[in-house]
Amino acid sequence: MIQSVQNTGARPRLEHQRARDTRRDPGPARLNWAGRVPVYVVLGIGTLLMVIPLLWMIAASLSTTRFVTTFPPKLFPTTFDFGNYTRVFTRDDLGKYLLNSVEIVIPSMAGQVLSSSLAGYAFARLRAPGKNLLFVLTLSTVMIPFEATIVPTFVMFRYLHWLNTFWPLIVPQLLGNGYNIFLMRQFMTSIPAELDEAAKLDGCGFFSTWWRIIVPLSVAPMTAVAVFTFTYQWGNFLGPLIYINDPSHYPLALGLYTLTQTSNVGQTPPWNSIMAGSMLLTIPMVMVYFFSQRLLYEGANVLGRIT
Amino acid sequence: MTRRRLSASRREALAFYAFVSPWIVGIIVFLAVPLVVTLLLSFTNWDLFQSPQWIGLRNYSELLFGKSSDFWLALRNTAYYAFILVPLNLVLSLGIAMLLNQPIILRRWFRTAFYLPSTIPIIAVVMLWSWLLAPDGIINEVLSWFGIHGPAWLVDPGSVKNGLIIMGVWGLGGGVVLFLAGLQNIPRFLYEAMMIDGAGPFRRFFSITLPLLSPIILFNLISGIISATQVFTQVYVISENAQNPGDLMLVPYLYNSAFQYQQMGFASAIAWVFFMMVIALTLIILRSARRWVYYESKAR
Repeated sequence: MIQSVQNTGARPRLEHQRARDTRRDPGPARLNWAGRVPVYVVLGIGTLLMVIPLLWMIAASLSTTRFVTTFPPKLFPTTFDFGNYTRVFTRDDLGKYLLNSVEIVIPSMAGQVLSSSLAGYAFARLRAPGKNLLFVLTLSTVMIPFEATIVPTFVMFRYLHWLNTFWPLIVPQLLGNGYNIFLMRQFMTSIPAELDEAAKLDGCGFFSTWWRIIVPLSVAPMTAVAVFTFTYQWGNFLGPLIYINDPSHYPLALGLYTLTQTSNVGQTPPWNSIMAGSMLLTIPMVMVYFFSQRLLYEGANVLGRIT
Repeated sequence: MTRRRLSASRREALAFYAFVSPWIVGIIVFLAVPLVVTLLLSFTNWDLFQSPQWIGLRNYSELLFGKSSDFWLALRNTAYYAFILVPLNLVLSLGIAMLLNQPIILRRWFRTAFYLPSTIPIIAVVMLWSWLLAPDGIINEVLSWFGIHGPAWLVDPGSVKNGLIIMGVWGLGGGVVLFLAGLQNIPRFLYEAMMIDGAGPFRRFFSITLPLLSPIILFNLISGIISATQVFTQVYVISENAQNPGDLMLVPYLYNSAFQYQQMGFASAIAWVFFMMVIALTLIILRSARRWVYYESKAR
């Protein structure tokens, strides 16, 4: 029964979504070719400005030390060295840092998605005294910069002997955050309430209604929250810098920084290795965005409509 | 009957609080209590090892009026960075989004090209640009073809903020995607109706596009200001623990006080002043938004 509720609920939504897509497409806005040329020129120049630095990153990551140290600088390498990528693993410990990052990111994502979804469901569907007050409070927390609380938080983790562990980075992510809860709640209020009613008639409690009805239907915002959390944790620099001193516990973002610390002052950092490390940090990000693109643009549209 | 309904609503309330309990714990442990403790610590002198000494408002007077205080420098630099980067990115990303909204071929490719750099982790962005913007680096080489003698971007105190702004502009893609989504949600008949009335492109932009995008402008403005005032990683990496007066900003200043010099009380005072300023700025923008943000639902 629940299965059938889910199916009839999900299918019309998708069709509705598709119908929106075709309607939303603005179609040709009566631009003649003379009007279009400047558009292409400006977009083309902009695209080059955006993409060329990225190409330089890739080129440098595949280049020899000569390319990154020669003066006057050459624009593109002529000899290639694919060894940078293996060297950052064998010589620079980036493999260890990569595993540390994964160990931090995975539980953070799971925690953030589950707790935000659960809280978002509570705010979207359940009635309780004090709920509106708590919701206003939740919204206002997005204004509080993490840096404002950094001193006591550090002292607390120090007191708990959690410095040089991953806990100070993971635990705050297990409890949700205001922005993600808001996103979830906005999405869930658009899920037809009849589905909840049907589940209740089938004897589902609040928790199983959330788990069996709401969760399967809110894959889009859950993906968005997972991607946001990944983005934040994967690139997080200040957190590990404060909480982790032991190099064997560095995540990739912090470990990458250690490559720039040359032994002699004034010595040119090994830019080709650093760019290989930067690529290692960048590629998973790009892949995450690539695979979640459709869902994210849907999320951007939701945001476009609700803000 | 009444008793059953009462207990049902009570069960619902219990479920509500059970479901939001992780978040309530988060608010208390990681936001409310630390904010209060920061305030208390800001009235003390504390080096983390001896017990804190109560010194009243001395940290604040030292911070705001002390001769050796770098607060105003950090504030000026942060304001320069935020007030140039945020408007610049708003205008550029809206412009790009409007171009991408034209009937062009390869639109997806253009959109991806503009979006891609914004997905790169900030530390990798800084690494890339530290190399490109080195005094004898590629950017200055390219500029020299046009007869421009580029500055020592990330070294010279006078231009390091501009180097940081270049990095910031490179990451404008997130705003472009949001603006583009907003543009595509504007119904075409509005434009058609205005064209029948003989309105030119400027008139259409100011009467339709801008008002209907204003909620997204507000969102991009606030998130831009919040992230620009919190800039840390770039500064820390570029100027070796932020020792360059040209780019000392508020959060690096806070970091230095707390974690380089162990002045926990003084750092807490910075944290509170910083917190108050971010809140004030956000509230001013939100208050002003009542005048310039147009909500469709209100008009209906």
